[in-house]
Amino acid sequence: MISGRKLWNKEARAGVLFASPVIAGYLIFVLGPMIASFIFSLSEYNVISPLKFIGFSNYTNLIDGTDPLFYKSLGVTAYYVILSVPLQILLAFMVALLLNHPIKGKTFFRTIFYMPTIVPAVASSMIWLWLFDPDLGLLNQLLKVFGISGLQWIYSENLAVPSLVLMSLWTIGGTMVIFLAGLQGIPRHLYESVEVDGGNWLHKLFFITIPLMTPTIFFNLVMGFIGSFQVFGQAYIMTQGGPNNATLFYSYYLYREAFEFSSMGSASAIAWVLFIVILGLTMMVFKTSALWVYSESEGKR
Amino acid sequence: MRKTAGLAWTGMIALSVIVSGCSSNSGNSNTNEVSGNTVNNTSTNTANNTVQNEPEKHDPVTLKYTFWGSPNEKKVQEAAIKSFTEKYPWIKVNTLHIPDAYTTKLTTMASSNQMPDIGLLNGDVALEWASQGRIYNILDFLNNDPDVSVNDILPNTMYYWDEGKLAGVNGALEAFALFYNKDAFTDAGLPLPPTKADEAYTWDQFVETAQKLTLDQKGHNALDPDFDPKAIKQFGVTMPLWAYMNGVVSNGGQFINEDGTEFKLSDPEAAEAIQQWADLINKYHVAPSPTQSKNLPSGATALQSRKVAMTMDGQWSLVDLGAASKKLNFGVGVAPVMKNKATMTLGEPIVIFKDTKHPEEAWMLYKWMMNPENTLELQTSGLWMPVLKKWYENEDLVSKWAAGNPAHPDGYQDAVMRNAFDNGFPNTSYYVKNLSKINSIIDPALEQVWLGKATAEEALAKIKPQVEKELKGVYTER
Repeated sequence: MISGRKLWNKEARAGVLFASPVIAGYLIFVLGPMIASFIFSLSEYNVISPLKFIGFSNYTNLIDGTDPLFYKSLGVTAYYVILSVPLQILLAFMVALLLNHPIKGKTFFRTIFYMPTIVPAVASSMIWLWLFDPDLGLLNQLLKVFGISGLQWIYSENLAVPSLVLMSLWTIGGTMVIFLAGLQGIPRHLYESVEVDGGNWLHKLFFITIPLMTPTIFFNLVMGFIGSFQVFGQAYIMTQGGPNNATLFYSYYLYREAFEFSSMGSASAIAWVLFIVILGLTMMVFKTSALWVYSESEGKR
Repeated sequence: MRKTAGLAWTGMIALSVIVSGCSSNSGNSNTNEVSGNTVNNTSTNTANNTVQNEPEKHDPVTLKYTFWGSPNEKKVQEAAIKSFTEKYPWIKVNTLHIPDAYTTKLTTMASSNQMPDIGLLNGDVALEWASQGRIYNILDFLNNDPDVSVNDILPNTMYYWDEGKLAGVNGALEAFALFYNKDAFTDAGLPLPPTKADEAYTWDQFVETAQKLTLDQKGHNALDPDFDPKAIKQFGVTMPLWAYMNGVVSNGGQFINEDGTEFKLSDPEAAEAIQQWADLINKYHVAPSPTQSKNLPSGATALQSRKVAMTMDGQWSLVDLGAASKKLNFGVGVAPVMKNKATMTLGEPIVIFKDTKHPEEAWMLYKWMMNPENTLELQTSGLWMPVLKKWYENEDLVSKWAAGNPAHPDGYQDAVMRNAFDNGFPNTSYYVKNLSKINSIIDPALEQVWLGKATAEEALAKIKPQVEKELKGVYTER
């Protein structure tokens, strides 16, 4: 008994010791800053003068519309998320399905589709700036062939967000690779049983592939949500939130508040609201997951 | 456990003693040095470097100087600082060039107590930091200095955060003028633009000139009925749209009222001026739209490649024009006049941060950088204009920078230098509080105007209540 406790103690100590870099990292770089930012969010703080506590007015200023851009940026971001996440998942899934077939040059195509993911965000933004150019850009040159001309892309208030969604579809490589891994985990004998039953490829897709892929789809959906809500680079590099705040994404709005207007207090409040929004949505996705995500361990439900 | 705590305490006490000892010590030596330096300073100024060799006791001092700017600016400023340290060998200056996100970087430095002693700062930021007590009042130095007085300095280069409280003096003065490719005028059979403010183009003359200089692919100008605005080869004029205050003030308008309680950009004079600028783009098709300008090369190259015939731009573009002068036959004209002669002057101040332990040495460096004698390459290259009045008034000094070099062709002295001196008005960053927030409301609205989606009157009237909510007054009345 005593020796068992001792052993546990010893093991626990060793465990904690080995995990300590991660624990320390979490405390110093995640939990600490989070607590600090929560304290900032209750104050007026511009770094150069002392911090002044003002209670929850940073939050009320956002909610009651004193800052007219809060709802605007929330709306813009939601628009982007709703448009980009389903499209990304659908496209990545379809590409993964194609690349899962034993076709010639499979590895070549996999590389090609994954490649844009490696390109740094700044570089790909520059490339797309050129593509989107209304006068000289490749997209408008191509459309001219079909008689469509003069699209303003990211320079037009209505097209700016859809343009950036289009651009985001270029970097679905990461999502695609995860789908591919999932597809390869599907046991062959399940497909064979469909064949035995005389089913065609459509049956295979709807009765085997998609149900068995739901955990992977779920994972990609959650990651997509979180990633898209934090979209920043395109707004920062390509549009600076314009035209007329049409691409004032939430993270960019936060950045501007903090580093252009130096109001760390309200920027922290903005960050916490984003945290709560993402948390809420992720929880919602998790809650609904019981309805459609297949889980082997849970058996029948 | 108790033992280690005790040890820690003794360590901390020892440390605090050392630290406080240090600071009080340096504080003392500082004040000692002050008198020594000013004396030394005047003597060296009159009797030159040789006197320097007599043994005078100076504790070594290290200053940190932060600044931004092009590679060329960096080179010349560092050279100026090097000659400063050669003259005052006990002062070491560490320069830190921050080309990008300057304010963000300095804010970070402020939060970790690593502030520079002296450095450039954006005007509106300088005023805000000064009113929070983070920046020295430069008048305190100027009033006790035997060499420079506040009356020697151009008023439009000074950032006051309150009456008698000077946050900083610009590194340089800048003003707006017209730059053009002479060949474009000759080819169109037009006389060259005027250089004297009294003879400046009226707005109508300016529009007409721009129309004659705007050519489509087939060579029709913008007055020709066959002119195709969709295929423009040479634009008549470009201008930086953020500098719209040039038009507003020239048309008798204002940004805000004197005490900063009312937004005046939506008033008829101001809105009309902004509309006239937008008309250059959308009505007359003589200037590129914001999206079109993204494809145009910058100033000198645009003029040289004849994509543009004239640019209404800041005088800093002379640095590129001067460098291209072998291939580009360019001229300088005075900016057009709507109702009043006016050219916007701007520039960013150098400030001394309250965090410095060596304010007197920082001031010595400050003064050094203010004297064009030490940074002459920046002035002769066309990038900077001096901030001291005598460099505009004394013919010998004027000829040192504003003549005899490719960046300052004939007409420069009338079109830019004298116009800035006589008719310059300060940019909004010199007096408006909460400016970055206010601009973040105005800019998207004006974007709609430049794109021709709204008239200036509509767009500005719409944002008036929003802007007035963010108005926090002015630092000093103008």
